[in-house]
Amino acid sequence: MICAGIDAGSRAVKIVLLESPTRRILATAVADQGVQQDKLAARLYTQLLEENNLRESEVSRIVATGYGRSIISFANTTVTEITCHAAGVRRLVADARTIVDIGGQDSKLLHLDADGKVRDFAMNDRCAAGTGRFLEIVANRLDLPLADLGRLAAQSRQPAQISSMCVVFAETEIIGLLASGADPADIVAGVINAIAHRTAAMAPHTPNGPVIFTGGVALVPGMDKALADALQSKVAICPNPQITGALGAALIAASQASQQP
Amino acid sequence: MTCTPRQITLDEWDARYDALKAAGLAEPACGGRLSRHLADGDYRLRKLSFDNSPAALRLWNFLLTEEERLAQARTDGRKIVGVMKDLGTTAVMAYALPNVVAFYPDGAWWIPCVMENSDRLLAVADSLGIDDSFCPVRAMLGAFITANHFPIPDLLTCSVGATCDDFSAIAQRLEALGHKIVWWEIPHRRPPEPDEPYVTLPGQIFTAARSQVDFARSQLRIVQNALQQTAGCTLDDEMLAAAISHANRIRRLLAELRRTVYTAPRCPIPALEMLIAEMLAIHYCSNRDQTAAILQDLLAQARTRVSADAGFADHDAPKVFWVNPVADLRAMNILEQCGARLCGTEYMFTHALDPIPEDVEPLEALARAALADPMIGSARDRAARIAADARDFHAEAVIVSRIPGASHCALEGRIIADHLRKTTHLPVLEIEIPPLTDAVRPAIATRIEALVETVKHRRRP
Repeated sequence: MICAGIDAGSRAVKIVLLESPTRRILATAVADQGVQQDKLAARLYTQLLEENNLRESEVSRIVATGYGRSIISFANTTVTEITCHAAGVRRLVADARTIVDIGGQDSKLLHLDADGKVRDFAMNDRCAAGTGRFLEIVANRLDLPLADLGRLAAQSRQPAQISSMCVVFAETEIIGLLASGADPADIVAGVINAIAHRTAAMAPHTPNGPVIFTGGVALVPGMDKALADALQSKVAICPNPQITGALGAALIAASQASQQP
Repeated sequence: MTCTPRQITLDEWDARYDALKAAGLAEPACGGRLSRHLADGDYRLRKLSFDNSPAALRLWNFLLTEEERLAQARTDGRKIVGVMKDLGTTAVMAYALPNVVAFYPDGAWWIPCVMENSDRLLAVADSLGIDDSFCPVRAMLGAFITANHFPIPDLLTCSVGATCDDFSAIAQRLEALGHKIVWWEIPHRRPPEPDEPYVTLPGQIFTAARSQVDFARSQLRIVQNALQQTAGCTLDDEMLAAAISHANRIRRLLAELRRTVYTAPRCPIPALEMLIAEMLAIHYCSNRDQTAAILQDLLAQARTRVSADAGFADHDAPKVFWVNPVADLRAMNILEQCGARLCGTEYMFTHALDPIPEDVEPLEALARAALADPMIGSARDRAARIAADARDFHAEAVIVSRIPGASHCALEGRIIADHLRKTTHLPVLEIEIPPLTDAVRPAIATRIEALVETVKHRRRP
């Protein structure tokens, strides 16, 4: 019996197929998000099944999560990304107690109890200043691929100060910095620091134990260090950070399937 | 005609209204179909979900006809008093006079939401230099300029001092535009010094130095004199005592409604209607007697539903305590749509819910009530009362909603959330609710759904 988790995020769609009894990951897929999110997710799902010689009839339950979860019409149910990231990270890092997830549009800070249940959480406000969207904006402005930002930031000698708390105003600051001849590496490093500090501001106190960093932004080199500095705590990047939400959704699907008559 | 409790759309209400009328529904003068308010530009109603009870219909029609009541008061030659900023003290004083109608101009902050910005009140405020860095209560400024929503009052009073900075700035701008205001000052409530005489305030949580109560009383004397001048008659202690007694009857009704609704196994009145009902306590929506009748109706409806074990959420719906009023009424619907139920509130005017003392001189009693305002003490004081109330109502989670631009929300929200986490160990969600939430509804719903999931996880052994 197989279960599936689909994380329809604002930046990417992620899918995890799980063997229910063993909770073993069978396959994963990631694709850029688009306009027709339901169709895109369905296509990716079908493709993943085909690549792994699996049939739809073998999948007993599908849970959708993420920003676009409600429009995944072929999912059996939806669960928020808070619960799914907690489940996914906990599966990969058994003693995780504090989780930071920075995705394309949201950033979250989760506190788990010793059993891995979510005790409390905080999420960013409407502004995207503490999210991956900020990185996209700076990548566009500097005409760089998103994947190159971390490498570029590593060359920074004096990270720029981005003072605005609003991503729109911050973009204006970036334009000003470019106009004044600032090194793009310093600008990117400044943006990474700004995201880290914005995220750390959600933490009410010193995090409980090492912070597990997940979400697509965890793949940006240097982001973990900036976050550790801002939180004044050890930060460890979760294995496969981009798929933890989908993995959590698949685990919840498996748990729900096992309770079905 | 009884009916299973359900939240219905405006169109569904029309059909239900026909059925109720056919069954002999009796209505007050302000009754009628809810959809008739669309003709006034109240377009937000199309996106709200309403309680399907006759009591709720009466509540909504009462709320949405306040402008008509004020216009009628002007036609009838009654004096109209705008009681600004103060929530629940000066309105009591004004209603002590027989020929006076008091209203709450700050209530205009909901007009951009209810009319979906079609009246452009915020744009008018923008043009006067009060932009969106201020609380949406700036819409009041636009309402005074357009004069489309209420008659220009014969008297305007406004509390100032330890009140909201945004509102003080807006009211000062209003006065600069030629609207004379009688200001009265309320001091920041501070803990009494050791050995300093003090008074325990209504609500029994806060105390104030005797000297602060005396000062507040002297300020309310200014309001009393202004009211007498405007009304052209004496406002004596006997009249004030009668008004306090009347106010307390309404407060007791509301307290009983809150207790019935928030402690019921299934929530018998939805969060949105409870928000509107609670707001009546501060200004009576321009008719004190109808306010009492409407609360009585709602209470009877709630009791009927409780005895039938009927309501708007499952028995196991997570119990959420809500802090701060929302700029968009639609936000309250989201709570139930996400599977939660309301179990308590703190909409910044808990002092308007507590009985005003009746065993002391009236101005002394009103001064004590004014000093119990949660907004004029420290944020920690306010948080302490919220924590106590959340515990009393057995809350499982707290939502602290913020109003964009409202300076006290930005400053207090985090302090309240941290205090609650530390003292109650409840999960606390901070969210921002703009006047129109349509574009951010998925983001708000995700956060509330996550809170619901968190509560359910925490219940598991």
